[in-house]
Amino acid sequence: MARLAEFAAKRLVRAAGIAVPKGELASTADEAVRAAEAIGFPVALKAQILAGKRGLAGGIRFATNAEEVRCEAAALLGATIHGREVTQLLVEQRASIERELYVGVMSDPGRRAPAMIVSTEGGMAIDEAAGGQGSTTLGSTTLAIGAIDVLAGAPPYWCLDLIGALDLPGATLAALANVMARLYKIYRQYDCALVEINPLAITPKGLLALDARIALDDDALFRHPELGVARSQEVSDRPPTKLELAAALIDEHDHRGSAHFVQIDPDGSLAREQGKVSIGFDGVGTGVSMAVMDELVPLGFLPMNFCDTSGNPTASKLYRATRIILSQPGIEGYVFASCLASQQLDNTARGIIKAFLEIFPDGQPDIPCVLSFRGAWDETALAMMEEHGIAGSPNVRLLGRDSTEGDVARSFAELHRAWREKRA
Amino acid sequence: MSLHFEVFSGGSVTIDHDICATCETKACVPACQQPSLGSVLEIGENGLPALTVTPEQAKRGACIECLACDLACRARGAGGLRFVLPMPELDEILAARAG
Repeated sequence: MARLAEFAAKRLVRAAGIAVPKGELASTADEAVRAAEAIGFPVALKAQILAGKRGLAGGIRFATNAEEVRCEAAALLGATIHGREVTQLLVEQRASIERELYVGVMSDPGRRAPAMIVSTEGGMAIDEAAGGQGSTTLGSTTLAIGAIDVLAGAPPYWCLDLIGALDLPGATLAALANVMARLYKIYRQYDCALVEINPLAITPKGLLALDARIALDDDALFRHPELGVARSQEVSDRPPTKLELAAALIDEHDHRGSAHFVQIDPDGSLAREQGKVSIGFDGVGTGVSMAVMDELVPLGFLPMNFCDTSGNPTASKLYRATRIILSQPGIEGYVFASCLASQQLDNTARGIIKAFLEIFPDGQPDIPCVLSFRGAWDETALAMMEEHGIAGSPNVRLLGRDSTEGDVARSFAELHRAWREKRA
Repeated sequence: MSLHFEVFSGGSVTIDHDICATCETKACVPACQQPSLGSVLEIGENGLPALTVTPEQAKRGACIECLACDLACRARGAGGLRFVLPMPELDEILAARAG
């Protein structure tokens, strides 16, 4: 899911008619001081990084005068928080908070509908209260959850009905219902997977969105060029890598099957840290991908990427995905594994073959490669690997439908060992 | 002379008829015979590969980009067919890496 930075999310929240604190972006300490003087003291300085729990990590500071702003901004800008460099700050009016609430709308696969969630325990308390994995210490007077009928929407009267039992004053309930209805409009208008305000502060002047988090459905990003969001898939809380951006273009306008590519260990540092070997990886289906990766890791290999090319993608998609996977620097091998797929594996094979023929001289890879074709047209796929000379490469091992995920990993380990010995 | 058409995902097929004239197999044409989906290539009246659909139809998805023609031409043909699938963003990354 592509996430918006806080300042971008708040722009949408403000445009929807929900109050947010006055704020300006700053990239230098001088800009931060100018912004604070324009906004008025006291101010909050908030690191604009795509990571949660910024406050606990020191990513939110407060200042009561220009000198403090300069000092705190200088400390934050250029700092690394949760592995992300801080390059921008949101300088914001500091609010007078009476109480913090939580309100969010998220796609809920369990309910097959968007879910509206409201809690009277907002801020960092929501994480502590929501004991994880669906359990919660919150009761009916502190938590309200409702599935939204997408045809009816979430009008204020529906929202008010949902939160009626919460332990809040009547005027706050009415204002909260108004915020909820507007939040749902953002969710629909921008094809979101998540829209969240946490905390939604009760202040003497009314409800105020102190933080906002918006995650967009990647498959709908093309509908919203106005948001200027980088095309990426499932990279969660870090900016997408250049290769991920290039890979996201494969599916951008072509929904004939999918090619989801995510770098697990983009620079290979995790593999080095764990004493493992980086490899490129592609699987037909997420389940088989995870199963094969689970077999590879104990044998000393760490996929630099996850890639799922399933849903009967075109051969051209496989070609492009394979080129991306094999372009990762430092990989010492490539593993392709299909589940017992119903997709046409001959198409899959053609894409891989074309990539191999264009990347490696005569299609003969210079790194160990294990390809496992199991499913529809698997024998045709294997025959094509023979026809194009890839099967004859000393660095290639082909497996058919009688192989398991463990066989794939063990075959790769044997091949890699032989390849290393030859190079030594 | 050549036959040229674009494909849905952004790319193109160019078939060089001068080379095809020397090709004994015209392997791209039978490779395109997909029983359930039909094919977009046939042997035209001049004995050379031709489209069974309009270039616009091919671009809209009649060509399913199975790459069978490409690989058949490489393996059994005369090498007159080029199936180009551009990836300019990846090329830029690779060029930058190469310095």
